[in-house]
Amino acid sequence: MTDIRSHFHQELADLEQTLLNVADQAEQMVGMAVDAICIPDMELAARVVALDNQIDRIYLDVHNRWLTLMARQQPMASDLRMMSVLLHLNTTLERMGDQCVNIAKMAQVTFGLPRSERIIAQIREMGDLVRQMIRTGVEALVRRDIDEARLLPAMDEPVDRLNRNMYREVVECGPDPSLLEWATRMMMVSRALERIGDQVVDIAEQTAFLLTGEMMEFNENGISGTG
Amino acid sequence: MEMLEKDQEIDLTIIPPSGPAPAERSAVRARDLSVFYGDFQAVKDIDLACVANRITALIGPSGCGKSTVIRSFNRMNDLIPSARVEGQILFDDVDIYGPGVDPVEVRRRVGMVFQKPNPFPKSIYDNVAWGAKVNGFKGEMDTLVEEALRQAVLWDEVKDKLKESGYSLSGGQQQRLCIARAIAVKPEIVLMDEPTSALDPVATLRIEELLQDLKERYTIIIVTHNMQQAARASDYTAFFNMNAERAGYLVEYGRTEDIFTKPREKTTEDYITGRFG
Repeated sequence: MTDIRSHFHQELADLEQTLLNVADQAEQMVGMAVDAICIPDMELAARVVALDNQIDRIYLDVHNRWLTLMARQQPMASDLRMMSVLLHLNTTLERMGDQCVNIAKMAQVTFGLPRSERIIAQIREMGDLVRQMIRTGVEALVRRDIDEARLLPAMDEPVDRLNRNMYREVVECGPDPSLLEWATRMMMVSRALERIGDQVVDIAEQTAFLLTGEMMEFNENGISGTG
Repeated sequence: MEMLEKDQEIDLTIIPPSGPAPAERSAVRARDLSVFYGDFQAVKDIDLACVANRITALIGPSGCGKSTVIRSFNRMNDLIPSARVEGQILFDDVDIYGPGVDPVEVRRRVGMVFQKPNPFPKSIYDNVAWGAKVNGFKGEMDTLVEEALRQAVLWDEVKDKLKESGYSLSGGQQQRLCIARAIAVKPEIVLMDEPTSALDPVATLRIEELLQDLKERYTIIIVTHNMQQAARASDYTAFFNMNAERAGYLVEYGRTEDIFTKPREKTTEDYITGRFG
């Protein structure tokens, strides 16, 4: 097979690789942000903010490269679907970076406050689950594997459950105002992790779109319908 | 040719799954169409139903038989001595290659616009009026000419110089004059064989815009080498390829948005993404 648009396809592949690198960075940032909360570690929190600035710069660069490719190459069929996926992925990863910053800022404002080890354990568990989700979501995209992409909704379910449970844990911190302040902030951390989980499910939906041409809404049972 | 006056709906059951919705009426349909030039088979077993009042684009690599197919729709291949047609072209349920069908009447009802603008060496007015005169038109000729030029979006540019030569116009204007000439005889179908390949980008876009207006009155079938043009201008796209014997065949036919976003056939995907050859 001769690829008569090899330069364009190489640029498309480069753009995808750039975003896969960002996804790896986002996964590490989740780990660092959660560590910044759990250790707690102000320096780690500052590094998360710095890494997010890097993601923001890449976001703009990818956006410009994407626009140029679209204007100059007018992609079709699977190339067009890939372009759509890349645009979506770029936005999703940028927002994941922002959620990591939200977590890091909570580490900064709660530094020195009393803590609940139960909540810490829960945050750590959510962080581990979300990082695994990112790894799986990225791998599904790289391997163009729709079956792997379909695993994501089920992987997101325990993250959602832990997030819902967080409210009860916070209420139990009630009598101590300092602990309550810390715990209330942890609800926001939990919410940020839950949002990242949802964003990874979005990436899995994009992988399915890339492979099938159909937009699918994923839920914990796999696919809830096509649009 | 009286048979062609029937307004029967055509059975669309053989249209591939991605083809037009059954509710849409086909204006012309190739059934098991094969065309030979001498011993060479140019196209093989084409089944293609073009939807009425829609634009169908035929795309594919050079030599895949797109022009041969489009020329079969108004018996232009009759003019090539070695050409032979098998199968049917059904127009209102009548095979236009059947006995007793007058090819001249077929060509009145199925007009054609060619790659290079080819006005006659006559005035703008006479270019448009010519077909009607030949067909014995008895009505108000001035009105007919103005109506055709308006439909071709050329009237405002030529209304003050109708007696000037058609050659005095720009390339894009000449092509619109040819379109006006084609529609002046009130065809039902207009075939266009790469109608913009000799035009500059602005004239090309003008013609593409014009097609969107014309489809309200006519069924349009266009051969184009420009995939972006097919994507921009057509409602349905048929992708042709050629087999090992270099005979053209229909790979895939469907709504243009489907062909260019999620084609069903890998051959189509490879061609439109440039992984062909």
